[in-house]
Amino acid sequence: MIRSILKVALREWKRILTFPVYYLAMLVLPPVLCLLYAGIYNKHFAEDLPVAIWDEANSPLSRQFTFMLEQTESIHITQQVQSEGELQAMLRNGKVMGAIHFPRRMDEQIKSRQPVYITIYTNVSYLVPAKLLYKDAAQVLLTAAAGVQLQKLMKTGMPAGKAMALVMPVQLQSFTLYNPRYDYQQYLVPGVIAVAMQMMMIMVVALALNYEHKTHSLGELYEVCNGSASNAVIGKSLAYLSVAWVDYIMITLVIYPLFAAGAQLFSWGLFTIFTLLMLACISVGMMVSAIFKDLLLACDVGIFYTSPAFVFSGFTFPRWGMPWYDQYYAMIMPLTPFVDAFFKVYFMDLPLRYVRLEMAHMLLFAVIGLPVAMLLFQRTLQQSTLQHA
Amino acid sequence: MPDRKNSIAQLFLREVKLVAGNHSLFLTLLLAPLFYVFFYGTIYSYKVEEKVVLAVADDDRSEMSRMFVEQMNNMQVVAVMRASSLEDAQERMYRGEAQGYFYIPKGMQSKVLSLQQADVVLAVNGARFLPSSELTGAITQLGLTIGAGVRLQYQEKMGLNSTMALQEAMPVNIDYRPLYNPQASYGGFLLPVLLVLILQQTLLLGLSGSIALERENHEIGRLVKMGGGLSGMLYGKAAFYLLLYLAYAAFFMTVNYQVLHLPFRGSYRDLAVLLFLFILTLIPMAVWIGTLFKSQLLAAQLMAFSTYPFFLICGYAWPFESMPLALQGLSSLLPLTPFVKVYTSIVQTGGTLRDHAGSVVHLLLLWVFYLLLALWGLKRLNKKQQPLSL
Repeated sequence: MIRSILKVALREWKRILTFPVYYLAMLVLPPVLCLLYAGIYNKHFAEDLPVAIWDEANSPLSRQFTFMLEQTESIHITQQVQSEGELQAMLRNGKVMGAIHFPRRMDEQIKSRQPVYITIYTNVSYLVPAKLLYKDAAQVLLTAAAGVQLQKLMKTGMPAGKAMALVMPVQLQSFTLYNPRYDYQQYLVPGVIAVAMQMMMIMVVALALNYEHKTHSLGELYEVCNGSASNAVIGKSLAYLSVAWVDYIMITLVIYPLFAAGAQLFSWGLFTIFTLLMLACISVGMMVSAIFKDLLLACDVGIFYTSPAFVFSGFTFPRWGMPWYDQYYAMIMPLTPFVDAFFKVYFMDLPLRYVRLEMAHMLLFAVIGLPVAMLLFQRTLQQSTLQHA
Repeated sequence: MPDRKNSIAQLFLREVKLVAGNHSLFLTLLLAPLFYVFFYGTIYSYKVEEKVVLAVADDDRSEMSRMFVEQMNNMQVVAVMRASSLEDAQERMYRGEAQGYFYIPKGMQSKVLSLQQADVVLAVNGARFLPSSELTGAITQLGLTIGAGVRLQYQEKMGLNSTMALQEAMPVNIDYRPLYNPQASYGGFLLPVLLVLILQQTLLLGLSGSIALERENHEIGRLVKMGGGLSGMLYGKAAFYLLLYLAYAAFFMTVNYQVLHLPFRGSYRDLAVLLFLFILTLIPMAVWIGTLFKSQLLAAQLMAFSTYPFFLICGYAWPFESMPLALQGLSSLLPLTPFVKVYTSIVQTGGTLRDHAGSVVHLLLLWVFYLLLALWGLKRLNKKQQPLSL
C-alpha cells in the first residue's frame, strides 16, 4: 500500500512538472506574487504624504507647530493655502491628503484664556493615509497643547512636577504590541501570500482527479494505485503537500528575507499551521475534483469558493463587525482558522497550544474532504475499469 | 457600411449564444457580478467595527478607576471585559478573546487627588490593524477628557467660575474633520471600489476566457472573416460586453449604492462618461490577455489570481507614491489606476472630470494602447490559425 502511494505521489510530481495548469499555478505564481507583494510594500510605511497648511495665525507658535508637524514620518507640507475653499479643492483633486488650519490670533487667544481650535482635515476616502496623518498630527498638536498648558501653569509659580500632574493627571502608557509602527510589509505581505497559496492549492487540486479524464490516463492511474482510490487520493495529496513545502521554503527562506531586509518569516510553528492549511485546501480541492468531472466547472467552483476567503477571514476587517450569517460563512473556509492561528503564531509568537482550536478546525476539512473524495473517486475508478473491460 | 454593421450584429448575437451555452462564461459574466455585489456588500454593511473587546484589570478599585472603566465601556468602540489581574488580562489577549488590555495600578486615585501624575497602561494587539488603532484612539481621547475634568475641578477650586475654568482646562483643542467618510469607516472606504473591482474582474475573467476558448476551438480565423477584418471582429465581440457591463455599472451605481447606503456626492453625467471610458479600456485589455492563453481553463485559473495584485497596486489601498518606481510603472499600465483616482473623487468628494483631466487623458491613452495590443494579439492568432497552403 505504501509503495503504491509513493508511486502515485511520484507520478503526480511528474504531472505537475508537465502540465501548465499545475506548474504555472503551483511553482511559478507563488514566487511571482510574493515578489510583487513584497515590492509594493517595500517602503514599509506610507511616508511624506502631501499636506497643506492654512496658517491664518502666522505667528511664532504656528510656525513652531508647523515645523514639528514636518518632522513626523507621514507629514510633508507641500502647499500653503489661504482659504478653506482652496483647501477643499486641493483635497478633492488629490493634491494633498490632509490639511492643518491655525486660526487667526491663535497666540493672543491662548494668552487671554480663550480656547483655541486647531483643525485637522483628512481625505478619508483614502483610509490608510488619512489614519496615519491624523495619528501623527494629533500626537504633535496634543504634545504642543500640553506644552502650552505646562508653561501657563508654571508662570503662575506652580512647581514643575505639580504642573505636569495637572496637565496630564493620568499618564496613558500606550503600547502597540507585535507591529508597533504599523509596518505594512510585515503586516500585510505574509497574509496576502497565504491567501494566494490557499487559492492556488484549492484551484489546482480541484483538477487533480478529473484531469485524468482529459489526459486519458485513468487506466494508468488505476494500475499505479492498485485500483484503490484511497491510495490515489493520499498519493496525490502527498505530492501537492510537498509542492506546498517547496513553495514555503522558497518564500520564507529566499524571497521574503531578500525584500524585507532579512526579516525572518520561517518558523516551525508557522510551518505547522501552514501545513494544516494546505492539507485543508488539498482536502477541499480533492472533494471538488471528485464531485465535478467537468474541469471548467471544478475550476469555477474553486474560484467562487476561494476568492472571497480573504475578506471573510477577518484579516483586514474583523469578523465580529460582519453580520452573523457572514461570520458563519467564514467558518466554512480553511483560511479563517488559519488567519486566527497566524496572528497568534506569527505576530504574537505564541506556542502552538494557543491555537489548538484553530488547528482542529483546519483538520476538520481533511477529516471530511478526503474520505468523501476517496468514496466518490472509487466509483469513478470502478466505472472506468468496467468500461475498459 | 451596412455589411459591416451586419457583421458586427452577427458577431454580437454569436457572443450572446456563446455565453449562454458555455456554463463557465455564463457563471462568470451573468451570475457572478450580481451574486458578488450583494454577497460582498453584506460584509461591510455595518461599515465600522464596534465594541472591540478590551480586557481591563483594575488593581486600584477606587471610585475614579470604576468611573474610568465605566466611561470606557460607554464608548461605541470599546467593550470592556473584566480581568482579575494583569496576567489574566494578558492571557485573554493571547487567547484571542480580547484585542488588548488596560491596566490600572493600585493608587491611581490617591495620586491624582494629591496632584501627582498617575500611570495607566494600554497595550493593544497591533497585529490586527483596525481594532488596535480604534482602541488606541478611543482610550487616548478618554484619557484627555479625564485629564481635562481634573483640571476643571482644580481651576474651580482655585476660585474660577465654571466658564473660565472650562477655558483654562482646554486652552488648545483639536477639531478633527475626517472629510468624505465622516465615520472613517472601513466599509465606507472599501465598498465603492469593491463594486468597481467586481465589474473589472468578472469582465477580465469572462472576456479573456471567451477569447481563449475561441483560440482553443480554432475559431479566430472564422471570426475575423465574419467581422470583415480584425477590427470588425473586435467590435462585434466588444459590443456585447460593452452593453452588458454598462448595464451592470448603471445598476451598481444606483441600486447598490442605495442598498449599501453609500453617499454619492458628484455628478452622474461625469461618472457615466468615466465608467464608459473605463469599460471601453478594459475590453481590449481583456481581449489581449485572452490571446495569451491556449485554453479557457488556463485563462480562468490564472486570471483568478489577478484580483488582489490589481487592487493592491492601483494606488487606492496603498499610496501610489510609496511604491517603488518599477511598480508605479506597472500600476500606470492598469486602467484601474487612473480610474480609481477620478472615481473616488467624483463619488466621495464631489469632484469633476475637469479636476482630473490628466487622469482622464491617461485612461484614453491606455484605451489606445490596449486596442493596439488586442489587434496585434488577434492578428498573431489569426495568422497562426490560417490553414497552410502550398
